[in-house]
Amino acid sequence: MKYIITIFIAMVFISCDKSANELGLVPYMPTNLDETGGTWKTFVLADPTDVSLSAPLLISDPLYKKEIDSLKTIVVTDVQKQAVQYWGAGVVLRWNEIARELSAKYNLPPAANSSGVYPVPNAADPLADPKFPFANPPYTARALAYLSVAQYDALVAAWKYKYQYKRAPPNIFDSSIKPLLPISTLPSYPSEYAVVSQASYTVLLAMFPGEGPFLKQKLDEAKNVPIWAKTNVPSDVNAGLSLGAAVAVKVMARAKADGMSAANNQALVPDLINHSKSIGFVNPWISQETPARPPMLPNYGAVKTWNFDRTTLESIRPAKPYLEGSAEFKKDLEELQNIQSNQTRNQAAIANYWADGPGSYTPPGHWHRYACQAGFDAKYSEIRMARMLAYVGTALMDAGIACWETKYYYYSPRPQQFGLKTSVGLPNFPSYTSGHSTFSYAAATVLSSFFPDKTSVFNAYAQEASDSRVFGLIHFRVDCSMGGKHGIQIGDYAVKRAKVDGAN
Amino acid sequence: MEKLLAQMPHDAIYMNKNLVCGALIYGNSSWTNYWENTLKRDNPNIGRLTTQSMTAMLAYGIKKDLNLIAIVPFIKTDASQGNLLGQKGLQDASLFLKAKSKSFHGITAHGVLGFSIPLTNYVPDFMPMSIGLGSKSFIVRGIISYNLPKNLYVNSSISYQARSMVKADRDAYLSGGKLYNTNQVPVPDAFDAALRFGYLKKDNQLELFAEHFSCTKGDDIRRNDMPFLTNDMTMSTVGIYGKYQPKSLGVNAKVAYVFDGQNVGQSTTYSLGILYQFKL
Repeated sequence: MKYIITIFIAMVFISCDKSANELGLVPYMPTNLDETGGTWKTFVLADPTDVSLSAPLLISDPLYKKEIDSLKTIVVTDVQKQAVQYWGAGVVLRWNEIARELSAKYNLPPAANSSGVYPVPNAADPLADPKFPFANPPYTARALAYLSVAQYDALVAAWKYKYQYKRAPPNIFDSSIKPLLPISTLPSYPSEYAVVSQASYTVLLAMFPGEGPFLKQKLDEAKNVPIWAKTNVPSDVNAGLSLGAAVAVKVMARAKADGMSAANNQALVPDLINHSKSIGFVNPWISQETPARPPMLPNYGAVKTWNFDRTTLESIRPAKPYLEGSAEFKKDLEELQNIQSNQTRNQAAIANYWADGPGSYTPPGHWHRYACQAGFDAKYSEIRMARMLAYVGTALMDAGIACWETKYYYYSPRPQQFGLKTSVGLPNFPSYTSGHSTFSYAAATVLSSFFPDKTSVFNAYAQEASDSRVFGLIHFRVDCSMGGKHGIQIGDYAVKRAKVDGAN
Repeated sequence: MEKLLAQMPHDAIYMNKNLVCGALIYGNSSWTNYWENTLKRDNPNIGRLTTQSMTAMLAYGIKKDLNLIAIVPFIKTDASQGNLLGQKGLQDASLFLKAKSKSFHGITAHGVLGFSIPLTNYVPDFMPMSIGLGSKSFIVRGIISYNLPKNLYVNSSISYQARSMVKADRDAYLSGGKLYNTNQVPVPDAFDAALRFGYLKKDNQLELFAEHFSCTKGDDIRRNDMPFLTNDMTMSTVGIYGKYQPKSLGVNAKVAYVFDGQNVGQSTTYSLGILYQFKL
């Protein structure tokens, strides 16, 4: 019996707490208010005054006094306090996190039906099988880019009106009001919580149309946070909602016309394959799934870019990769064959860490997460956070577009067409160049310009993400090295744009 | 997908004091159909998924009513179609203590305590190719055995398996529609229950059994998604087991078939083992 007791006691110590703890993100006071934010160059709005906002009530107005008094009578429940702490860590950051969660949730390739056909998700019936969207890497890159751009443009407009109307926060008007969140002298009209939340809600509802009730619940919570926290009065919030909505309409107008609706044009495929053969590919890419799945978004490369034009996109397209039969190709293939036979645990771990396959927020989501963390660590203001994410986000979407254009220009075969397996799962589109490498180096380049002291960290991450596709056996080395170089060029265009937007 | 445990921690057989039984068992478990949540399907990108195992087992009689059982399996997985890379390696070592009460009108109660711990740092989150779930577990089992006339017996057992968090290679995962930004994955605890009916004379045995395994919670595999550590796996199995050990050397064999399940493969398992009994 004493053996049993000994084992039992040992087991109590071995058994772990099973709650999945996440890194704590808590409210903070930004290091800089970024008072000039209203003058920063926007992405979609030609100027913040493209969206108008009427002047608030004067603080001498009895109606304003009534709003202030209403804050004093609010009883904040524990649940509401939790919401305040949650959103207080950053309203831009939290909506980004929500978007990553939705991307992961919708990142599932459709199942083939009984006749071996893969049905295409239907935006008009988003919750039917297969659900719309299939939030694959290009889709997610785009959704996150529009989210970040809408947040940024909306905040530039908000900042412009904040400093135009200069309404002081409630606690300055009435010192008996004790805010539940760190509060600065940032003018309170319109509410940045409401601006960001309404803009984010509108973009995400368009991107994930089956998530209306979920998103509405998030919006209702977020827009009430500044009231519960006593950092805004209701008219600040209402002004923010209308401003956020107006900006989001303009941003979504760009989205509707950016070419995404034609990104899955499968009619182009025969010509793409013929082109590939004409430039020397004996065995162009072919789906390795059974039944064969149509290639992912073959015309995504035609979607409108953010930080460079079409001529530039074509001029920076990576050069033709090694052709089957060449010594260089043989060397790359042998590297993979050796890894397949002797994959180390560390190689497998790197491959898995960066795999970001189905059910994940994809590589663009992974980089948005790092970006949010870096902005949080640097105690960025909401507008500076949105700005940084807009550059990271647009660079990631540009990377997706330029990489997809390259993939379908060459239509090159995957290593699996030469007998290799994979330890991570095989994406269903041509090999050259590696999306992970392009995405990661583009994001790392932008992040390094925002956080120069973390350059080596971001570049190491990018190199690891790039290597991960070789370690996972689904890319040739040249796919990754050329994709990485391409990504740096793409990131540089975003950096160049950021340098002249007036924020530095 | 299930952990391959040999039968011995389940049964009502004991080694006498200082007697040791060593076994080397080859196992082969495979499926072509699996339950994606409740949807039974095949997958042409997997074909037949085969899990082979070579298990070393040692049962030792501390006393005639207290035995220690140690199990170490080597596992290898392969898919017959598609391009998923097979995995292999030493899986989890488990150690059990089994004790029994005095017989009362032919009825004996047994208690089993055990734990298992991964022996190697294998990849847990590349299911269904992973060789195991990567969790440490603690198992408590109660068995009631009833000796019938003519060397027949019935035995029933129920057990609870507490399983630890697993550190996945990835730093975020989706479970139940929610995204967790961490590499710590909770593998749900599990129950199993079994009913066995058999013939036992000396060391020769023939047994029919039915088992049911179920997690206490967890999520379901989504349409066309891969399985994951957090899944609520359920399976019902029937099988036959036999042992022939005329002297110190013996053999055992088992066939088992999963006839119903959720979030698991519909596996057919067979195993063949060599047993060797000796006095310490």
